[in-house]
This record gives sequence, structure tokens and C-alpha cells, in this order.
Amino acid sequence: MTPTRETFGNISTSSQVVFYVVAVASMAVFGYGIWRRFRLWRQGQSISLKQLATGTVSQIATKIGPGLRRLLVDGLGQQRVRGRGLPSWAHGLMFAGFMMLFLGTTLLEINHLAEMVSKNLGFHHGLYYIIYELTLDLFGLLFIVGTSLFFARRLWKPPSVGHRGTDWLVLILFLAIGITGYFVEALRIVWQQPTGIGAQCSPVGLWLSSAFRGWTEGQARAAHLTVWWVHALLVFGFIAAIPFTRLFHLIAGPINLFLSKTVLGQLKPITLEEAERDGRIGVSDIRHLTSQQLVSLDACMECGRCEDVCPAFATQKPLSPKRVIQDLKGVMEHLADATPDTPLSPHDVIKPETLWSCTACSACVFVCPVRIDQLTLILDMRRHLTSEGGLSGTAATALRRMQSSANPWGFPQSERANWVPESTSPPPN
Amino acid sequence: MTEEQQSESKPVAPTVKQNPDFEILYWIGCAASYDRRAQRVARATVKLLNAAGVNFAILGKEEKCTGDSARRLGDEFLFQELAEANIATLAKYKVRRIIAHCPHCVNALLKDYVQFGGEYEVLHHTQFLSQLLSDGRLKIEGEIPASLSGPLTYHDPCYLARVNGIHEAPRDVLNQSLAGRAGEQGVREMTRCREKTSCCGAGGGRMWMEEPPQQRVSTARAGEALATGATTVAVGCPFCLTMLTDGVAANESSARVLDVAEILTERLGL
Ligand code: SF4
Ligand code: SF4
Repeated sequence: MTPTRETFGNISTSSQVVFYVVAVASMAVFGYGIWRRFRLWRQGQSISLKQLATGTVSQIATKIGPGLRRLLVDGLGQQRVRGRGLPSWAHGLMFAGFMMLFLGTTLLEINHLAEMVSKNLGFHHGLYYIIYELTLDLFGLLFIVGTSLFFARRLWKPPSVGHRGTDWLVLILFLAIGITGYFVEALRIVWQQPTGIGAQCSPVGLWLSSAFRGWTEGQARAAHLTVWWVHALLVFGFIAAIPFTRLFHLIAGPINLFLSKTVLGQLKPITLEEAERDGRIGVSDIRHLTSQQLVSLDACMECGRCEDVCPAFATQKPLSPKRVIQDLKGVMEHLADATPDTPLSPHDVIKPETLWSCTACSACVFVCPVRIDQLTLILDMRRHLTSEGGLSGTAATALRRMQSSANPWGFPQSERANWVPESTSPPPN
Repeated sequence: MTEEQQSESKPVAPTVKQNPDFEILYWIGCAASYDRRAQRVARATVKLLNAAGVNFAILGKEEKCTGDSARRLGDEFLFQELAEANIATLAKYKVRRIIAHCPHCVNALLKDYVQFGGEYEVLHHTQFLSQLLSDGRLKIEGEIPASLSGPLTYHDPCYLARVNGIHEAPRDVLNQSLAGRAGEQGVREMTRCREKTSCCGAGGGRMWMEEPPQQRVSTARAGEALATGATTVAVGCPFCLTMLTDGVAANESSARVLDVAEILTERLGL
């Protein structure tokens, strides 16, 4: 007999119907949550996504190539999450487990839909089945280990990492999903009694099933149905929770990785025409940020890496790049019930001293795993302060001197070459 | 005229007018033009360029501030004014290749000016010096001076190492300059180095701002440098030079702070 299992084995038709109803409901909550954020992002300056999809195939490829590469390397490859010891491992394990379980569940659903069309279209059997079951069984462990490591880290609470009540909810949800998943499998093995390779390809499930030795098929089926429901409801709860918890970085992170074109050391120029048209320079309202910059605020998961490397923060100045992102995000959230005329100035929450503290060293931009450009946001706000005459003291003097003498010290231009060493002979005329 | 006679009759740092057939332009920047300490970096670099027989020129009075600080302090239009003036001057003298010893100038010339039509090949002086050494145009010979015998560390400037990925060239120049020391190998590294370097505190226009002593980034960074046991702290940026000199003093240390070019001239006895 080819090793396989029925997709909704032991699940009655009525349970299946309820299952799909709950599935649709949780997707609806998920969709609503995303839509809520999307409406906020759209109030930023347009980033003309259409332009990305126009032109010849090769033109489009050059336009979206770098973004796809960032998705692949930074996203799937976890390039920028690495290098931090335990938390990097925790994230890597959880991510690998999560992605594989997500992929597996999607494949299972595809198989189910295919079988509904025709029994012959099903592919969840034979060698595929063996590889599938074994892979998911093992990646489930990675998922649980990763989640447990995050548990430990939250207990330990490093000060630069953000903490919210819902973080515990997410971690408990994850652990519960992982553990109930294994119980579903173990109980299925108890009532189904698969033989040979069909049982061996789920080693963790098989091991767990030995705990139920002696159970009758009826008992096992009843317990299986119950745990299966608990597992399913937890998963749906998780899907619905994504847009409302830190998990949202799952959506906003990749979008930002794709869209953010940060080049270290480069700033976006402002033209005189733009300044005249807009009647301002820089950012004085949250809607002056681009949609991509607004997405980036939602991509931040408060990992604190930027804060850890910021020299201003390290020397007790009022700047933390993470705080700036979170403060901007706070202002963005007010967009939900703002009219076009409601002033929503980031300057109301971020003090000038905070913005002046930045040395533009790019350390924060360099370490952010989701490529948030804290520096450009800070400098965009500085531009507004400066245009309003908000800079005073020695730095303002330096600017005036650069204006009048083309150097910040204010020495005469005619003395610019006075440093040149005495030549051994006079220069030829 | 033989080549030797020719170089003797040339000024030590000719302007683009005096030497219109230059191959590479040496961009001095405001710090080395006016700051007494940073002027020594430019003089050291000029000595090395002359020793290697490099055909270079400077803009002299026609050079203006690149505007890096202005742009990062938020004054975009002052920056653009300066950038356009400099781009016009560089175009006038058909400049294509530039060396600069200031990472802020390097970054401005490379990444800011390209947005306004100024496209150049820009090298940090340590990159150019490393090339001169590997091409054999500068030769390290003889005994190493006693002044270079102690432990040495190198502070990577953010705008060079992180922002523009230049960190091997300065190490190459330093390691070659230190070769042959008794007991001590090359550069001693700080924990935060290369792309992960820590700021000296002068970027983003903060060079021009006052700060209370307990909040100085430079003191903290100099502390890290001194923790390596270094008696010489090498830098590759005139801002870092100022900041770390202050920082070393704040740490009550007598360590020397020198630019990479100054160390190479010391090694070569120039
Ligand atoms: S760029 Fe500014 S905010 Fe970012 S790490 Fe450097 S000093 Fe901090
Ligand atoms: S901005 Fe980036 S580095 Fe900083 S806390 Fe947020 S995600 Fe982490």
C-alpha cells in the first residue's frame, strides 16, 4: 500500500464546513487588518508602483531585480538578521520552521482542492508523502525550539528590545500551535495504525503516539478530533492576529525590503520647483513621507539593533533611532481619523534636540534587518527645521560661513591654498 | 630637460592652472585648507605624491567646501549651490579622477555630486597610496623609526568604511609601514571596526556643534582605541583626527593620533 493519509481523515463533513467558515472569517479579519494599514500608507507621497510594472520585460526586470534580490537575500536568506548570537538563531529557527509549515499547509490545501476536482489529481502519497511528512515533522521541532528561545529572551528582557503584552500572546500561540500539531499527528497515528514507512516518516509523531498505547481506536478518534479543532482554531487565531501584533512585520517587512532603495551616504535631492510647489522644505507633516517610508514604520519590530549601535544614544543624547521610528509610527496612526487639514506634525513628538543629535553615521541604517532608513527620516525632518530657521548656535554660524566664504571656518577664499608647503622654487608663471 | 630637473622646478602642489596636464586632482577640503593640524595631513600626502612622481594638481583658491555638512544639517539649497559651483569648476578643468583625504569629501564627490551631473572616479588617499606601494612607486626600505615601534590601532571613519566600504586600503598602507617591527605584528583591531566602526562624533554637521564633555562620542571612541594598548592611533579623516585627538586627551593618554599618510611619511623618512 502506498503510504498516504486522508486530508480530512476523521473529520466529519459538518466539521469541515465549519472549518471553512472559520477559515474565511479569520482571513477576513486578516484582510481587514491589512486594509487598515494600507489606508494609512496611501496617505503618504505617491511612489508610483505602476511605473515598476511598465516597459519591456527586461526594463521591468532591471527595475524590480534589486528589490527581488533583497527579498531573497535579506528576507528568505535572513542575511541581516544574522550575527547577533542567540536571537539570530532563535529567529532563524522560527523562520525556517514557520516557512516550511506554511508551505506544507498550503500544499496540503492544494492537494485537498485537487482531490475535490478528481481523486486522480491528488499527490499526497508515495515518495512525495514520505518526504513531506518527514520534512514537516522535523521543521516543526525547529519552530518549537526557536519559539522557546524567544520565550527565554522575553523573560530576560534586554532593554533595547521593545516589549508589548501581545508579544506573550504571540509566543504562547506559536508554542501551542507547534505542540498541538504534534498531538494531532500522534493521535492520528494511534487510530490509523499506519505500518512501515508510512509511520516511520513522522518520527516525532510516532514517538509521541507511544504515550497513547492501549487507547482504543474510538478514544483516539475522539481525542484526535478535539485536538485537531484546537489546533485549527489556534492557527486561525494566529492568522487573524497578524495585522494587530508584532507579527505584522511578516507583511510590512518584506514589502519594505522590496521597496526600500537605501544607498548609504545618499540623500534625495529637493528641487527649487518642488520647494515652491509644496511651499515647504523637508517634512513637517507625516503625510510628507512617502508611502514607502510609512510602510517602513510598520516594518519595525523594535529589535533595538539601531539603538544599540547609535553613538548619540550611547552618549546619553536624547536620540534613539528606534524611538524615532516608533514616534513617527504613533503619528501615522492618527491618520486613521484625520481630515486632510488636520496637522499631523512629527515635530510635535520629536524634539529638535533629538534630531540634531544625529551624526549621520549610518550605523542604524546599516544594521536594520528590514532596511528601514532612519537617517533619511531624521534628515528629512532636519531639513524642515533648518528651513524654518530652527538651527542656532555654532552650527548655524558654520552654515552662514559656508554661505559667505565657502568654508565652515569663515576664512577668506583667497587663503585657501595657504597650507601649500613652501616650494623649492617659485611656480612658473 | 630631464625628468628630475622638471620635478625640481615644479611647485610642490601645483594648481590646475600651473599644471594643466595633470592626471589626477588632489581635493584638499576645508579642514586641510584652514585647520593647522589637518594641513599637516595634506602636506604629508603631497610629499608622498611627489616622492612617487605623481602628476597631480590642486584647485587652490577655486576649490569650495563640498557642502557635505550643509546637506546633512538640512540646508539642501546651500549644499546645491556649493555643489554646482564645484561641479562647474571641475568641468572647466576636465577633471575625471580625484583623490581626497577627507571621507566626507569622498562621499560628497562620489554620491552627492553624481545626482547633479558630476561623475568622477574618486579615491581616498589611502587607496591611492596603497596602489603606489603595490606598483612599487613608493618603496619601503631601511630601518623602521623608533617612533613607530609601539602598538598601533586604526579608527575607521564611518563615511569611509561603512558608507563607502573602504577599509582594506588604509590597513594595507599601515601594515606595510609597520612591517619589520620587532615582536609586534600589524594593526591592532578594536572590537568595532571596518563596516561596524563606531562614529567619532563629528559627522552630520556635529563637527560644528558644542557638546558637554560627558556626552562626547570622541571620548568613548578614543577609550576603545586606547583599550587595545595602542600608543599610536591612526585615522583616515581630518574630522576623526580632531575628535580623537581631543578624545585621547580626555582619556589622559599620551598616545599620538596621526593620519595614515603621516605614518607612511614617517616610515619613509620624508
Ligand atoms: S545615523 Fe544618527 S540615528 Fe543612526 S546610528 Fe548614527 S547617529 Fe544614530
Ligand atoms: S528600526 Fe530597524 S533596527 Fe531599529 S528597532 Fe526597528 S527594525 Fe530594529
